[in-house]
Amino acid sequence: MQGHKPLVAAMLEQTMPEPIHPLVITDLHKSFGDNPVLRGLSLTARKGDVITLIGASGSGKSTFLRCMNLLERPNAGEIVVHGESIRFKDTRRGREVADHRQVERIRSKLSMVFQNFNLWAHMTLLANVIEAPIHVLKVPKAEARARGMALLERVGLAERANYYPAQLSGGQQQRGAIARALAMEPEVMLFDEPTSALDPELVGDVLRVMRELADEGRTMIVVTHEMAFARDVSSQVVYLHQGRVEEAGPPGQVLDNPTSPRLRQFLAPKH
Amino acid sequence: MDLAWLDFQGYGPRLIEGGWLTLRVAVLSMVIALLLGMFTASAKLSSSALLKGVATFYTTVIRGVPDLVLMMLLFYGGQIGVNMLTDYLYDATGGRIDWFIDIDAFTAGVITIGFIFGAYMAETFRGAFMAVDAGQMEAARAYGMSPLKAFQRVRFPLMMRHALPGLGNNWMVLLKTTALVSIIGLTDMVRVADEATKATHQPFLFLLPVALGYLAIASLSELLFQWLTRRYSVGFTEAND
Amino acid sequence: MEQLNQAIIDLLSGNEIFTANTLDIYWEGLVNTVHLVFVSLLIGILLAVPLAILRGSRFAIIKWPIWCYTYVFRATPLLIQLYLAYYGFAFVPGVRDTWIWFFVEEPIYPALFAFTLNTAAYTTEIFHGAIKSTPRGEVEAARAYGMSRALTIRRIVLPSAFRRALPAYGNEVIFMLHASAIASVVTIMDLTGAAYYVYARFYAPFTAFIFVALLYMVLSFGIQAIFRGLERWLLAHLRPAG
Repeated sequence: MQGHKPLVAAMLEQTMPEPIHPLVITDLHKSFGDNPVLRGLSLTARKGDVITLIGASGSGKSTFLRCMNLLERPNAGEIVVHGESIRFKDTRRGREVADHRQVERIRSKLSMVFQNFNLWAHMTLLANVIEAPIHVLKVPKAEARARGMALLERVGLAERANYYPAQLSGGQQQRGAIARALAMEPEVMLFDEPTSALDPELVGDVLRVMRELADEGRTMIVVTHEMAFARDVSSQVVYLHQGRVEEAGPPGQVLDNPTSPRLRQFLAPKH
Repeated sequence: MDLAWLDFQGYGPRLIEGGWLTLRVAVLSMVIALLLGMFTASAKLSSSALLKGVATFYTTVIRGVPDLVLMMLLFYGGQIGVNMLTDYLYDATGGRIDWFIDIDAFTAGVITIGFIFGAYMAETFRGAFMAVDAGQMEAARAYGMSPLKAFQRVRFPLMMRHALPGLGNNWMVLLKTTALVSIIGLTDMVRVADEATKATHQPFLFLLPVALGYLAIASLSELLFQWLTRRYSVGFTEAND
Repeated sequence: MEQLNQAIIDLLSGNEIFTANTLDIYWEGLVNTVHLVFVSLLIGILLAVPLAILRGSRFAIIKWPIWCYTYVFRATPLLIQLYLAYYGFAFVPGVRDTWIWFFVEEPIYPALFAFTLNTAAYTTEIFHGAIKSTPRGEVEAARAYGMSRALTIRRIVLPSAFRRALPAYGNEVIFMLHASAIASVVTIMDLTGAAYYVYARFYAPFTAFIFVALLYMVLSFGIQAIFRGLERWLLAHLRPAG
């Protein structure tokens, strides 16, 4: 698992102070009832990293992602977002968030894009994009509106700004959801199987937008089944199996020369 | 223990009688509503424009007018209308038809409530009728069942599954609507409580037990409908759970 | 137009019932009915919104009393609730000597009291159902974007639930209009009371009650039309692009 670091880089790391990373997760555990789903997961996202999480269904990859912004409450482990550690407290009902305000603030720095888009159905696309900037980040309305339009332009939906989600195709909804995520100017973008609910012919547009985001240096963590995307775009691929990291590293290493027999089997062409 | 309060200051027996009357009005008007509802639903689904028109007019009017107004119209107007009709028949036949039809409060109440809820039942039945898959009936006919047999053995049970929630709902509303018969002079339990209250100036002693009576009937009905729903949804439940 | 006007004048002058005097009574009835229904619906909805939110609480001590309240008020006839309010206040010993009597003396206040509690119970259940059916994903998205619980309820859950509740609430408004007809039994001169007065005065049941039935129908279909319009406007987001 450990890559061979060039000697100079290793020396630099020892002498220079540790830079503040967008997201550092250490030894995360999560179980549903008696069923352990995550058994000690760690992950560091440096600025500009695109980390893809792959694994069979039930491997815990989505749960892991949802723990990062506390949509699921981890039972143990540490989550540090841009140097700020999420505080927990122990109660009779188990481990709880100590400060809801802190969690809300941290969540606003980690925008999530969902498998089923989860756009707010009663709001137009533009209203979806500017909702959280206005009400969570307190951005002035006019400014949020201008930036929202620019973002919709980016994802190719400017002329759909006043449509409601139900009036858009799945691919358009997902691109709209990405614009909504971008509007928060997040430290890290979390993608939870963003193309799994789409018709095959709509997947391409969404992946293209995600590639562009990666190219401009956004920090992204992506749960996906799209191996081509993982190979071309990610800086790191993490293969999860039964709630543990089975193998991780650069895509060339993990996807082309897998050491784990399970990963080899997972990557084998399906018949 | 002192059970004297159970006597309800002498109104106990009359309250029981009133409760019995409430139940009779409710059940009888429910029967009328069911028949009328079935009939109206068939009329709405028929190909005759006239039948459809009449049925639609009926359900539209009922939805637009308060129950109490309809009841007063039938009770206060019904007798005059019937008298006018029998007088006309008497004159037209030279005295050979000499009827006297008396519309009392009970008849007026039962007919009005049946008439009102017939319209609501029609909607319930129409929905249920349309929800039965045509293939099911075709299969029944293909196995040689007569139309009547096919209705009885296949369409009716399948339809009941869809109709039951609506029927249960309508019954609950109908039950409460029976309270209106007290206004046109029937001595149901609300009327008894009203009279007792005026006489004794103790509203809670009479009105609360009557409210409890309605609660009890409603809760029992709910249990009954839950049981019926289970019975008619055999083979349909927990398919996905 | 001239002819039509003349026809109406002929019709009105040709009968003894629809005189200026009786039309005045019907008008008073209309005003009282609309006043009763409007005020109770307004207060009812103000009560129902917080109750519907609390009804979905995970704490039994909050959830259960509200459930009991809505169950009892929905399972018993409004007429009994009206009698309880009307006699309940008036016959409690001592009430006549307090300030409450000022309100209770006028039958309109007990009627408003009963109608309001009744419609609040139904509306609470309607809203509760609508809130419960908020898509989970939409709430999750709101939380994921850093919205607090209160903000999520205010910006996401309620606006979306109100829209979904609209058709059912439209029915409740018409139901209240019809149910308000019983106000006449506690001596309020509402529309039905006016019709009864005209019936008793002229012994003309058909004229009196059919006329008032038509008035109720116009009101009902007017309300229905308003709600259809509201739905077209507020539920636009559910229609696929045309």
